[in-house]
Amino acid sequence: MKFSVQSKAFAMLLSVGLVAGCSSTGDTMEDGTYGSDVAAIDQDGGSTVYGGADGDGVSSRGLTDDERQAAQQQAEQQALRNITVFYFDFDTSEIKQEARDVLVAHARFLADNPRQKVRLEGHTDERGTKEYNLALGERRASAVQRFLVVNGASRGQLETVSYGEEKPAVHGSSESAWAQNRRVELVFE
Amino acid sequence: MNAHNAYRQGFSFAAVLTALLVSMLVASTARAELLIRITEGADSAIPIAVVPFAESGAMPAGDKVSSIVQADLTMSGEFRPLEPTRMLSLPSQRSEVYFRDWRMLGQRYVLVGQLTRSGERIEARYELFDVNREERILGETAGASANNVRTLAHHISDRVYEAITGDPGVFSTKLAYVTLSRTGGETLYRLQVSDLDGKRARVRLESKEPILSPAWSPDGKQLAYVSFETGKPVVFTHELASGERKKVADFPGLNSAPAWSPDGKSLLLTLSKDGNAEIYRLEIASGNLTRLTNHWAIDTEGAWDHAGRGIFFTSDRSGGPQIYYMERLGAEPRRITFGSRYNARARPDAKGEYVYYVHQRNRAFHIARINLKNGEETVITRTESDESPSVSPNGRMLIYATQQNGTSVLTVVSANGGAAYSLPAADGDVREPAWGPIVR
Amino acid sequence: MKGHKREIISTEPASLKSPVVMSLALHLLIVGIALAGWSWTSPVSEPEPRQISARLVSPEPRPSPVVDDQDQRDRDQERRQQQERERQEEEAERRRQQEQARQEAERQAQAEAQARQRQQEEQQRQQAQAREREQQQAREQEAARQRAEAEAKERERQRAEQERRQQEEAQRKAEEEKRRQEERRKQEEAERKRQEEAARQEAERRRQEAERRLREQQLEALADESDRQREAEARRQQEAAAARAREAQMLSESERYQSLIRERLSQAWYPPSSATEDMTARIQITLLPTGELVNARLVSSSGNTAFDNSALGAVRSLSRYPVPSDRNTFERYFRQFTIEFNPQRLR
Repeated sequence: MKFSVQSKAFAMLLSVGLVAGCSSTGDTMEDGTYGSDVAAIDQDGGSTVYGGADGDGVSSRGLTDDERQAAQQQAEQQALRNITVFYFDFDTSEIKQEARDVLVAHARFLADNPRQKVRLEGHTDERGTKEYNLALGERRASAVQRFLVVNGASRGQLETVSYGEEKPAVHGSSESAWAQNRRVELVFE
Repeated sequence: MNAHNAYRQGFSFAAVLTALLVSMLVASTARAELLIRITEGADSAIPIAVVPFAESGAMPAGDKVSSIVQADLTMSGEFRPLEPTRMLSLPSQRSEVYFRDWRMLGQRYVLVGQLTRSGERIEARYELFDVNREERILGETAGASANNVRTLAHHISDRVYEAITGDPGVFSTKLAYVTLSRTGGETLYRLQVSDLDGKRARVRLESKEPILSPAWSPDGKQLAYVSFETGKPVVFTHELASGERKKVADFPGLNSAPAWSPDGKSLLLTLSKDGNAEIYRLEIASGNLTRLTNHWAIDTEGAWDHAGRGIFFTSDRSGGPQIYYMERLGAEPRRITFGSRYNARARPDAKGEYVYYVHQRNRAFHIARINLKNGEETVITRTESDESPSVSPNGRMLIYATQQNGTSVLTVVSANGGAAYSLPAADGDVREPAWGPIVR
Repeated sequence: MKGHKREIISTEPASLKSPVVMSLALHLLIVGIALAGWSWTSPVSEPEPRQISARLVSPEPRPSPVVDDQDQRDRDQERRQQQERERQEEEAERRRQQEQARQEAERQAQAEAQARQRQQEEQQRQQAQAREREQQQAREQEAARQRAEAEAKERERQRAEQERRQQEEAQRKAEEEKRRQEERRKQEEAERKRQEEAARQEAERRRQEAERRLREQQLEALADESDRQREAEARRQQEAAAARAREAQMLSESERYQSLIRERLSQAWYPPSSATEDMTARIQITLLPTGELVNARLVSSSGNTAFDNSALGAVRSLSRYPVPSDRNTFERYFRQFTIEFNPQRLR
């Protein structure tokens, strides 16, 4: 399941202590399953997970500070880049706060690997009209594209496509299904 | 003293005037003929007897012509055909029609006819009678090849409908729609065209990728649609007779929402090639592209007004999707829907009276219509999760997609929200209906 | 209040009398003690008003201021000496006579002894009574005299007072009169002017009054007229009301059948889908008194054949029209009438 991968990624993210800057959930809480998952991790996490990570840091294996830092950063980036799906609220294309660090990591990776291409697939939930949703999915993909370009990726690496409501991640007509279907997926080629 | 006299004169003048008026009133009421004003009609559909046609010669198997006519008239929601088992006689020509009998049965109209086979053709002679006026209001012959009995029947339905209602019938029109089947994890999209009653359906395009927004050309010969077969939305035109397809819009980003102009020479399209969903006009012959909207918001779902001068479209420039009307190309768009926070996909009728659209109320999506004369917005469907309204060419009926037990089905309603008629379910989801034009 | 109280007491039952008497006695005792105490505490205050009144009265009655005070005193002295002499003479005489009488009586007493004993006692008693009566009379006479005297003095005093007042009044009046005459003279002057003014005003008032009268007469005439007209109007209205009542009876009858017809036609009319609210078709129909349709004629077309036909179809669909049995009402309203078809609420 994509979701458990995601959760692990988030736990790792927390463990390297980067979560301090993105503890704000607030509005995103209303965003069905996804929102509540994030909130749950935030609540469990915080100090406990952070403490464990610190312990890891202390019992270092004799690497130099620089090496250790580079390794840590690499791991960090790798962990972040495991997240490739970004969720949205109903009828919006606003990138959520908690997605930003991950997207920054992707942008850096793309900047470091100019040959890497990525497809940004925009999706919506089933509510509303198909054509409007097609445009809305497009706008979501474009929002992510802009964010990546601003953070170092080159436009030539990025291709957007909207499927509107045609390719739901989860079938069904529940708040939870809708929340998981309002998304932009990064597909690396 | 003078004043007094004047006063007195005033009194008597008033008295005379009053008397005069009273007498005039009395006289007028006495002379005026009684006028009874009828402002409301019967709430029910029109009773009509479609008498099974007399047959001479071998008829093809399958539905009888009169049964198809009966079903057509029923589907319109405006007629209430009499069960043939309740008929006192089965006339097939004028001399056999006893108006008294039909009046006793409460019938307004009686349709009688004869079918004659001659070679591969079938001829129909049919007559429509007004029971109360005891007059024949229709008497025609029509013919079709033996394997096109349905075409013949729909034609008769159209003629009967028009003779009684004054509006052209739409029973011969075609329906385009997309079906989606999921078998073994594989999804299959099919663009299909059928009779209005769902019969004689034919698949015109099959794809593993989504097919969206079929739109009929005004002559009924072509369809335009969005296909993802190349991995992204691209607009095609498709000539039904030959099966010939053309990629008409394959720009970076979005290529969607095709809508034919009434003259069939251009298409409205939604493109995001300039960074954001905007509406363009594509002249098919020349390939000239004109941008019609320019706004940071989403502008999509363009539709020509009945006169072919202005366009309706969906825009979220006010925060959520709402319907706007651009009276002439290039004019400042004017928002026309205000009834809720979500109003989208305008479909104007052919008379310029109403515009139908998807309307969100509370958590449900319905089809609503707005009266263009007075701005009155009315919800006309009782189902929820309603999508893709498409108006009949005569403006009397509406077809739309809705959810039924988790699958998408098509439903026909009369345009004022009266009778509803669900089309026979195909396998899987049926969606994106497009009501074809009347082809003469 | 007091009388009432007494009455209540007197109507007390006998059995209650002795306690009442006792209580009264007790109260009296208490009151007596209180009075005694009171009079003891202020012994002088009680008689004082009487002294004051005596003082007020005594200096007043001096009848003649002409008599000399000294002279009066001398004569009084003289009279008192005379009286003393006379009294002494009388005293001596009486003693002598008494001696004689005593001797006589003693003689008689001895002679008559017991026979007169009882008579004497009786006589003494009667004499005592007579004396008592005489004394009483004398006291009363004296009191009457003193009263008369006092009244006479009072009257005299009042008369003098009256006289004095009259004199003062006369003087005052004289002055008053003088002043008044002066005033009157002035007033007469003013009055003359005022009268001249009044005459003028009166003339004006008369004129106005005359006008008012005229106006009133006019108004009365008008009122009479309008009364007459009101009456006429009332009569007319009564007549009209009666006519209307007759009419209404027919009309209500007619309206009843109109609404029946309307209902039946509404049910029978199927406006075609092409109908709009602008369309109006009028059909004139002719009926038999039985309600059967004789003729239906489109008198005003909607411009839409389907619409016109739907209206004609509706009109002809009724096998029998509901019509009143009253022949007059039928002839008046239902023999021939027009039906208008104009959809207001389309299906």
